[in-house]
Amino acid sequence: MTDNHEALATRTIVDVHSIEQELEEVRWKLRPEGQMDEAAEHAAAEARASVLNLITVVTDEKELAGVAAVLDRLSTTNPSRTLILLAQEDRADDKLEARVSAQTRTESGHRVTTEEVLIHAHGQVAKHMASLVTPLLIPDLPVMVWSPARPDFDSRLFNDLCELADRIVVDTDAGFERDDFPRLLEVARRDRARASIGDFNWARLIGWRHVAAQFFDMPGMLPRLAQMSGVAVSHGLDRSTAQARLLGGWVQSRLARVGIDVPVELRPDDNHDYEVSRLLLYTGGPEGPARFGIAREAGGRLSTEIRVGDQELGGRTVRLEPRPPEELLAIELTLPGHDVLYEEALAAAVR
Amino acid sequence: MAEAPVLDRNILREGLILARAPDPAVMVIFGASGDLAARKLMPALYNLALNRYLPSGFSVVGVANTPWSDQEFRTQMLDAVQKYSRTQPVDRSVWQSFAEGLHYIPMMFEDKDGYQRLSDRLTQLDRERGTSGNRVFYFATLPDFFPVIVEQLGASGIAHAGEGWKRVIIEKPFGHDLKSAQALNRAVHAVFSEPQVYRIDHYLGKETVQNVMVFRFANGIFEPIWNRRYVDHVQITVAEDIGIERRGAYYEHAGALRDIFQNHLLQLLSIVAMEAPANFDAETVRDEKVKVLRSIHLVNVDTDVIRGQYGAGWVAGQQVAAYRQELKVAPTSMTETYVAMRLKIDNWRWADTPFYLRTGKRLPSRASEIAIQFKNAPHQPFAKTAVQGMNPNVLVMRIQPHEGASLKIAAKIPGPVMRLRTVNMDFFYGSSFLVESPDAYERLVLDCMLGDPTLFAREDEVERAWGLTDSIEAFWSTQPPPEFPNYAAGSWGPEAADALLERDGRRWRRP
Repeated sequence: MTDNHEALATRTIVDVHSIEQELEEVRWKLRPEGQMDEAAEHAAAEARASVLNLITVVTDEKELAGVAAVLDRLSTTNPSRTLILLAQEDRADDKLEARVSAQTRTESGHRVTTEEVLIHAHGQVAKHMASLVTPLLIPDLPVMVWSPARPDFDSRLFNDLCELADRIVVDTDAGFERDDFPRLLEVARRDRARASIGDFNWARLIGWRHVAAQFFDMPGMLPRLAQMSGVAVSHGLDRSTAQARLLGGWVQSRLARVGIDVPVELRPDDNHDYEVSRLLLYTGGPEGPARFGIAREAGGRLSTEIRVGDQELGGRTVRLEPRPPEELLAIELTLPGHDVLYEEALAAAVR
Repeated sequence: MAEAPVLDRNILREGLILARAPDPAVMVIFGASGDLAARKLMPALYNLALNRYLPSGFSVVGVANTPWSDQEFRTQMLDAVQKYSRTQPVDRSVWQSFAEGLHYIPMMFEDKDGYQRLSDRLTQLDRERGTSGNRVFYFATLPDFFPVIVEQLGASGIAHAGEGWKRVIIEKPFGHDLKSAQALNRAVHAVFSEPQVYRIDHYLGKETVQNVMVFRFANGIFEPIWNRRYVDHVQITVAEDIGIERRGAYYEHAGALRDIFQNHLLQLLSIVAMEAPANFDAETVRDEKVKVLRSIHLVNVDTDVIRGQYGAGWVAGQQVAAYRQELKVAPTSMTETYVAMRLKIDNWRWADTPFYLRTGKRLPSRASEIAIQFKNAPHQPFAKTAVQGMNPNVLVMRIQPHEGASLKIAAKIPGPVMRLRTVNMDFFYGSSFLVESPDAYERLVLDCMLGDPTLFAREDEVERAWGLTDSIEAFWSTQPPPEFPNYAAGSWGPEAADALLERDGRRWRRP
């Protein structure tokens, strides 16, 4: 706890009505006996911003600790009601516990208040946790489900939450295999699907996409986009190839829109641990073939290179912000609706 | 092999924040060794580069009479960015890459040979960096130099050379009265057409000023009550706690009326009072703003405009000197450092609704805000004792320092008896959006490069604003000298300003 982090109440409760009651109390800073002093009275009359309901699902205490740290940092800037579901279906005894807390942060220079409900369930109850969630949501605000690890696509809880959610945020860099992509796509494209998909990996690629697009904003370069003949994406070896596949899938799907089929090659790169390390776009053109390259540099930067025929054109260096999870999550909060580009990139990535 | 399709747009750009990228261009900064370039322009350009908004090949040619080389210019600009950039520390690699496009030509602004050297350098940059003749000419000099620079750009052929677009950004003040503004417009139009001219008022680049339009026109609940039927009056305040700093020479000729009222205050007034534009095109938005300026009615300058000048006093625990003791200010100066006025807007929406505007230096705090005070509820069913001390609803849009909005509403105090109290519902943009706000100059420079003049002042806006300012100045010139100083530094202005509202049964808000 920091000086500017004010925890208002923390209690353990066992049923949903008690949780609701406790939320009301921590929200308005009531004293346990229900009497308000002058400051509490003022707080009761004070409005504050809330921007969303955030639900996150974790399966063990270790994961819970990591998630709690991210949510703690997120709470400095995003007023929300957060429901953390610690769901342990495999544990035998049925159990339901909840802890409600509220905190006000002022690091940003503003009072940002967040309520957090941690619900811990075992056994059968864990499968039906979505039924607990609905009454605890703040009405009229979007519902975002964040799955820090690869979700269990077959679990009842995940599918119930998909029904509730406006947006489901995953990180395809966190344990996703190639076969998981179509399952993710299926969630986004379900009949009457309300939930759109957000992916930390997609947000990490914003800089790459931006710089790649800028190549073809340059004078005389647009025709070369239509003459793209190949894409090579280099990637580190330590984690999944999801990010490289997505980036390749993005180029492929954009060009497919205008009837151009371009092959994508994934190239393992020994010099990098993980993530995309280099993107090369090969095109034809009247002055001969060209190669547009973007490479990841140390210290959070991208450098570019352009070779047209035998000529090297001037490259440049721009920033590629390494974003911590709370920042990636915060980006997701600002994105509305289905991201068709992402869904098309995902679809191309599994081809 | 199948023939490649012809693309009419960059399909890789779809879905990115900028739907369109600025074309590669050279920005020629006249006055590149000055304060504005160091404090605002170069940090803005660096941050645009850092965040990937600048196109490849983007270059700058600094022009000023300080005898710097390219390398010295780069070093000076790096110092400036290290000192003034909103993002720190400066990323050396990004700076290195950006600085390769920085060039400098030492010359006097009247020097014809200098323009030939400038022309040669621009041609060279087009060749080496692919800037295709696209130019932004940024006038960051004293206003006296604007006409001569425009004339020389025309005479040297630089303004029209080759292919590519040419745009000119002109800093405020754009003229010092209607006559000089018209003369400057004529001089500029002799070389550049109106769509090429971007008259900058950095206030319009502020996020919250743009948010006023979003607040009004993207929400369905405010516009139906945004009129004379529900609004009692509007107060617009631009208060500064600082004095004139080192700008005595300029301020002696400008005063609060020219320095703030003619541009910032009237811009805010236009935005708050305008009709909903049919779309967000530059011309449509600016048409609506000009209609407001044309409808402004100053009933009686004698009684409805108050001016003041600060004497010595205390601001934020610091003892400060009187205006007349400031550097480069005449000891008998009659320049106003405070203006307050009551305006009416003669149209169906606002007829008989007073707009109170004020601006001043050395006021108790720095605050810019627009306050819409609504009329009282037509009937109070509660006992008199219950509503004692209640205030009408006020919607405040704060521009600085804490950007946001607040709505003052009545609420029942919990308890067995009916007692009401006024409470504020506050919304701070900073507490709901993580995104770091760009500096106003970043937004405006980028808009200019994209060819979007929505947030820049148009010729008729500027001239109408000067027309209003001139009418006040003309009246003052017929009056005996005011008794200055008439407010103490650290107070909220002259007593006459309070009386202006008290006459109408109202009072100024404390921002």
